[in-house]
Amino acid sequence: MAERRARLNEVLITATAAVTGLGPDLDTTWRRLLAGETAIRPIRRFDAGRYPARNASWIEGLESRGNRSLLFPLLERLLDGFDPLPPGCRLVTATTKGCIDTFERVRKGLSGDVADIPVSGPLAWLASRLGLNDPGVNINSACASSTIAVARAAAMIESGRADAVLVVCMDLVSEFVFSGFSSLQALDPAGCRPFDRNRNGLSLGEGGAALLMMSAKTARRKGIPGIGSVVGWGAANDATHVTAPARDGCGLIQAVRRAMAKASIGPDDIAAINAHGTGTVYNDAMESTAFEAVFGARPIPLNSIKGAIGHTLGAAGGIEVAVDMRSLADRTLPPTAGFGEPMEKCVFSVRPFPQRIGGIHLLSTNSGFGGINAALILKGNPG
Amino acid sequence: MTGSIVAGIGWVTSQGPGRGREAREFSMNSGPIPPVTRKDVFPEPNLRFGRLPQYSRVGLAAVAFALRDAGMDHWETKRSAGIVASTRTGCFTTDIEYYNTVLPEGGGLPSPNLFSCTLPTCFLGEAAIQFGLTGPTFIVNDPGEDALGGVRMALESLSWGECDTMLAGHIDLAAGPAIPGIRPPYVGGLFMVLENARDSAANGFGTLDLSGGGGVRHDGIEIAGLNELVRACLAFPGRS
Repeated sequence: MAERRARLNEVLITATAAVTGLGPDLDTTWRRLLAGETAIRPIRRFDAGRYPARNASWIEGLESRGNRSLLFPLLERLLDGFDPLPPGCRLVTATTKGCIDTFERVRKGLSGDVADIPVSGPLAWLASRLGLNDPGVNINSACASSTIAVARAAAMIESGRADAVLVVCMDLVSEFVFSGFSSLQALDPAGCRPFDRNRNGLSLGEGGAALLMMSAKTARRKGIPGIGSVVGWGAANDATHVTAPARDGCGLIQAVRRAMAKASIGPDDIAAINAHGTGTVYNDAMESTAFEAVFGARPIPLNSIKGAIGHTLGAAGGIEVAVDMRSLADRTLPPTAGFGEPMEKCVFSVRPFPQRIGGIHLLSTNSGFGGINAALILKGNPG
Repeated sequence: MTGSIVAGIGWVTSQGPGRGREAREFSMNSGPIPPVTRKDVFPEPNLRFGRLPQYSRVGLAAVAFALRDAGMDHWETKRSAGIVASTRTGCFTTDIEYYNTVLPEGGGLPSPNLFSCTLPTCFLGEAAIQFGLTGPTFIVNDPGEDALGGVRMALESLSWGECDTMLAGHIDLAAGPAIPGIRPPYVGGLFMVLENARDSAANGFGTLDLSGGGGVRHDGIEIAGLNELVRACLAFPGRS
């Protein structure tokens, strides 16, 4: 086993970017996260007056050009000033609904570029914008899409199938998705309150993240310092219900244990958890149950950033990794915006203010429709 | 890279449902898909199947036929098996059906049942529940013309030890005139049950692996597309 591990490539994250409702770049998002601010506010993109909940976290100033999707200006903003990509870099994206606004326009009889509607549309745009030879692939696994995309990229690098992979995660706020979550009575009219006793649903958000991952060998050769590394990953289906999590957290437990086994670390090595934390009654209870099954009653610092930037669906895990890299670099876990009173039976340390991280391993998890659960273990640079 | 045995194949195409051990010919083209009924898929009454939109029915049926073909459709304890499928258009047909419930009433009567199927992965969740599958489940939107993106990723997952068994395939339905100009070349659903060659007792329909360039090979011969792959499996001389 030791011999096998020695042959595998270490997976570094060398550049990160994020666009969220809190700001046009990762620095602004990070600063406002630490201040405990939220971007969840009344929606202006469509008339939400007919829905009980009317808030979401949306990006200020996104403007469509020539009836094209708002996804493209989001991606332009995300990639503006991003590090150059090494030759041969592969592309893995994560989105659940891609150019859903174009789909809406076409179905309403308005003009829109139909070629953008399949995910091949934004994939081709990205490959062209970035000058990549790789046409890329998109991973769709509901709200765990980008977590699985990062895991896939890490496995590609570790196994030697790729030297460098750019992971791009993206999703928009749309009436299509908003009306659906509203019909499931899953939206909190007051804005989401992860791990709070009075939590009452999620808030939707939009955003994007770009993560440049490469083998340590390649990074060293190019003189590129790593921000941190991806050392463990795991995914599992709970095989219980399509839209509700397994009450016993069996899928998430399995995903976290697989990730820890991959990282060759034990439960005591995890210094902080960035949970999925949607703010729905069942999700947060399931996560608390699962984490307690894995970590026992140790009060590990735990947060969710969805009270600040909303649930960005397929982009969620990627944005969270970008933020997690900052958390590990600064040894600080951002506050859980919206959190007030602790939920019942949660042994973990959830706070409305920043918490100190006393170690170098952070667990980041996401779960989604279809029973999927995914976990990443990220490692900060020592010192 | 260690190869993977094709232990079973199942599909729903324009020619109807089928599975590897009952077929000598295969073609997945752009023709319309005949309706798939519960009785085609599950001998016993099934609470979920009748409520699913066509995309989910086709996908779930193809998974069920592949597992039946591999003798794995009956189970008692959950199994470490994942599912990955490639697609061009995902669940557009369900998206159209759902959005039609949003449009007429100005957002007043959107269907929660249909919305819960507007992710292309939802039928993978249905399959995981019906057959106790606990591995990774995801859809890959692959712009490649060969419709082998799902098979390619499943072979990688098996070689990386992510699970013991992978169901790998492809699914697409034609969106029709609702979204003009989008015509997937392979319409229907197809899944293969793949097992690590070193763990498998049977020859199945031959061995798949990946070339250095990432091409899918069947018994060492590089395959150009989905139809060619299934035909090579059905023609495998040692099939068991």
